[in-house]
Amino acid sequence: MEFTTQDKGRYTEVSASGRLNMVAAPKLREVINEVVSGGGKRIVVNLADTSFMDSSGLGALIGCLKLARQSGGDLRIAAVQPQVNMVLELTSMHRVLTPHATPEEAFLND
Amino acid sequence: MTAAPEIRRALVVEDDVDIRGLLVQILKREGFEVTEAATAREGLEKARAGADLITLDLNLPDGDGVEVCRAVREFSDAYILMITARTDEIERLTGLETGADDYISKPFSPRELVARINSLFRRQSRQAAVDVANADERQRAAEVQKNLLPRDNLRIQDYELAGRFRPSRSVGGDFYDWYGTPDGLHLTVADAMGKGMGAALIAATVRAIMRSVAPQPSIETAFATAARATEADLEQTSSFVTLFHGRLDAATGVVGYVDAGHGLALHVAADGGVTRLSSAGPPVGAWPDQAWPPGTVSLQPGDSLAIVSDGLLDIYETVDQFTEAVAGVITAASSAEDACAVLLDMADVPEVADDVTVVVLQRLQG
Repeated sequence: MEFTTQDKGRYTEVSASGRLNMVAAPKLREVINEVVSGGGKRIVVNLADTSFMDSSGLGALIGCLKLARQSGGDLRIAAVQPQVNMVLELTSMHRVLTPHATPEEAFLND
Repeated sequence: MTAAPEIRRALVVEDDVDIRGLLVQILKREGFEVTEAATAREGLEKARAGADLITLDLNLPDGDGVEVCRAVREFSDAYILMITARTDEIERLTGLETGADDYISKPFSPRELVARINSLFRRQSRQAAVDVANADERQRAAEVQKNLLPRDNLRIQDYELAGRFRPSRSVGGDFYDWYGTPDGLHLTVADAMGKGMGAALIAATVRAIMRSVAPQPSIETAFATAARATEADLEQTSSFVTLFHGRLDAATGVVGYVDAGHGLALHVAADGGVTRLSSAGPPVGAWPDQAWPPGTVSLQPGDSLAIVSDGLLDIYETVDQFTEAVAGVITAASSAEDACAVLLDMADVPEVADDVTVVVLQRLQG
């Protein structure tokens, strides 16, 4: 899995490309940790190119959300693909990690 | 313990006839079955036939030894000893990702060569011993986990109950459990985040916690109590577990249930109609301060309740496809046991990389 981080001014966008599984989970935590410790408050994880997520991947997203909130910020997800959406809905985690259509929209209303 | 292979095969890749002859002689004396190659192309070809040790000259007439080494590494675990004419080359080589195990410079003494080879194989056999010990331990863990599954043939008048579990590794994060109660039975299906040993430890903890709340008559209170205790344990590991817990009243066929982030329990009616029981909240441990309102489902004669783990979901594009497929199997199956076996077989494909669990509770036709 490949991660790219981009400062978009109003928020930091982290694009995740590939399969978000047991192997990729610690890498995502590392990337988000870096953004948070660099002072990033608003983080959008762009999942447009994430074709698959398992429970470890979901665990990593939840961990990253907790981390962002603990430091007074927030983390949102965008451009979620069908399999990832299925995992979010089955686990009812879409109530906490609500998908946004595009990264631009994730922090539009605040 | 696994015995060391009877015959050790060596391949000598060296263009200098004299040095090649010397290497062959030394290795034969050490008990190797030796083949030889004079060029990179020939060496690569013979390496494919299999070798435990390869001595590889760095400067071959038709190619670079480093490239040969990398190419061999793609298909072979052989111990590769690179031989170079220049001592200063060794320093450069060790900094590269060549895939070689050791380096020696020409001219070398036969004694030094033998010492290197013996040390390589000692390392290998020590690693093999560690591997065997680990495999042993994994096997024992798998047996323990298997013994934690309900073994007693729980017989309830007018019902049939069956369950199967197949971990993706030797142990897994899925489990199911059931036990009889004065009114009917309690059953639990859970899936701890991740795979392997870590997930299995969490699964065992959750099983014990869920059993401890069995005497609590209210399913909502019982589940909330178990969830609080589980959350405390999970917080340290930043992990979570999806849980389905159901309680059957055998006389009426009513199953009270709580679904925490599992979402894959299906009510299959006698006529084949299917309803998926959606989850009432996130997995336990995923997010703080959650409540999971219980639901009920009524099993009429001929109806089934099937709880499947997400491992089987991996072969379907959508949850609806999965739901229809499982309902089809259950309707066609001759028994709950048969349905479980068919569903587990369906998951026996490479696309399924996760643990797979299936539990089927069927109310028999009157």
